[in-house]
Amino acid sequence: MTGLDALLERYARRLARRSDRRGFLAKLGALVVGGAALPLLPIARGLAAAPDGKARPAEVDGPAGDPTSCEYWRHCAIDGFLCSCCGGSQTSCPPGTEMAPITWIGTCRNPADGKDYAIWYNDCCGRGFCGRCFCNRNEGDRPVYHPYRSNDINWCSGASTQVYHCSTALVIGLAEEGQPEK
Amino acid sequence: MLLAADGFRLGGDRGRDRASRRLSAARAPLRHRALAGALALAAALVGAGAARADVEPDEHGQVAVLPAQPGSHWVWVPDRVLRHAQLFDGDTGTMLGTLDGTAGNLSGPAPLFSPKRGEIYVVDPVYARGHRGERKDYVVIYDAVTLAVRGEVEIPPRSASIGHGYQLAAVLDDERFLVVFNQDPANSVSVVDLETRRFVEEIVIGGCALVYPTGGSQFGTLCGNGTAIEVELDASGHKQRATRSETFFDTVRDPLTEKGVRDGARWLFASFEGRLQAVDFSAEQPVAAPAWPLFTDAERGARWRIGGMQHLAFHRGTQRLYALVHQGGPGSHKDPGSAIWVYDVARRQRVQDIAVPGLLPAFARPILELPRGGWGEWLLRQVSPNPGAHSIAVTQDAHPLLFVRHGEIGALGVVDALSGALVREIDEIGISGPTLLVPPGP
Repeated sequence: MTGLDALLERYARRLARRSDRRGFLAKLGALVVGGAALPLLPIARGLAAAPDGKARPAEVDGPAGDPTSCEYWRHCAIDGFLCSCCGGSQTSCPPGTEMAPITWIGTCRNPADGKDYAIWYNDCCGRGFCGRCFCNRNEGDRPVYHPYRSNDINWCSGASTQVYHCSTALVIGLAEEGQPEK
Repeated sequence: MLLAADGFRLGGDRGRDRASRRLSAARAPLRHRALAGALALAAALVGAGAARADVEPDEHGQVAVLPAQPGSHWVWVPDRVLRHAQLFDGDTGTMLGTLDGTAGNLSGPAPLFSPKRGEIYVVDPVYARGHRGERKDYVVIYDAVTLAVRGEVEIPPRSASIGHGYQLAAVLDDERFLVVFNQDPANSVSVVDLETRRFVEEIVIGGCALVYPTGGSQFGTLCGNGTAIEVELDASGHKQRATRSETFFDTVRDPLTEKGVRDGARWLFASFEGRLQAVDFSAEQPVAAPAWPLFTDAERGARWRIGGMQHLAFHRGTQRLYALVHQGGPGSHKDPGSAIWVYDVARRQRVQDIAVPGLLPAFARPILELPRGGWGEWLLRQVSPNPGAHSIAVTQDAHPLLFVRHGEIGALGVVDALSGALVREIDEIGISGPTLLVPPGP
């Protein structure tokens, strides 16, 4: 396989993996025909140092530790725009929006400690599509008749407005078991 | 005719004068007669061309209408970003019209057609101030010929907003009642009487989702405990019966995707692992038939799987099932398909493979302002990868077309559903959306 072929295949696979719903930024990516997407900074800012000196969770290098990356470890079942790219973070909504009170739950493995964590993907609501950092990963996702495992549902339906803006990824705690697929 | 001295002579007359002068010049020695004759003929032709009638002033205020009978190769293309659905003719590639949606709908509007009533219905969740304020939900009624609003029915402000936009509402076969799936997040169904244009009642379907018409005034729904329920409405639209099937699938280990396709009173669903599951709703209680595998062991070993947003299509006349497939692992059930495998459902055999058209060049060409058919487009087609497709839909006529869409690429592939040949690409169909809707034929 030539270098160009490999590049195009990699591009196509990335587009395929990340393209599902809400993702009109994929359109921009589609324009970069034969090109690569923007580089993702290898930073680890998911878990800040505790100011009181207590032990802090191990950090993760590379995209798996970058909350603005689709490859961020908590994003294994996310479907939407990453709030970390929209004026919020993986745990907070952008200004002016409202965090939906309920949502679906994923189970993601943290590469830093090898443990499975239950993740809430609370949507942020009240503004139109953020339009940045679209990400769709479906590990453990189930159809909408199984709502609390379904990332297709607009969980802003539980907020005061159904208008969807972006999605967060909050750790609830350690999961007792991994995803069904693992 | 105005005189030349007026300085205002019409072009056609001026052309004829020139022709006349040239005819005079033709009174020349014989050896020049042939040449002069040719010149005169050419001049006459030029004059005749210039004498064509002028473009008449246009009448102001004309608005196009659709034919009384929908075309058998029409398709609606909803767009979640542009918040509308547009109608295209697969035979010509032309766009025919638009219906709008609202900000409260995540997947774009899904127009539902009633041939008997000559109406199209769209579910609109509306906020008083656009993105905020009091929410009210409506079933908006459009005339199917003029696309003008004929009326609206207010329903409970709980209509579901779901990314895949599939089977969120349906016109039942009686064309009397329309049902809307609600999720707030509790699940229910709102019933609208299309005859009286009134909301009838909200039927609770706890633990179940989506609406699948099954005949008459009945619809089915899939449930989180691995069953299906069929609901029958009485003559006034109230729930008359709700019967549940036996448990027939595992919602965690090998769930059915909710993107089923209809064959009369039965629906065909595919599981994540590639089992085709028919559910028959013709009896009092829904009955699941034994499932059969879409993939051989070798194909499963090669990691072939179903996947996409609207990954199945079914042509009832030929009993051909079209399935978007790709090679991937668990969790790839929404990835776009790299191929379309065609099955004879009666024989339970794969009978054909259809290539997924690469839609990226058709999408990018107008954005890059490359001339159609030029070298730039040629180059684009050489270097563009094929990202596959998320959605397919097939028409139900004897010469069916298969429409193919990638959810994030604004171009539509139109494929001959029997031969598998690409008929055309339709560019500039929008930005993003998961579904395709083929209006039911007469």
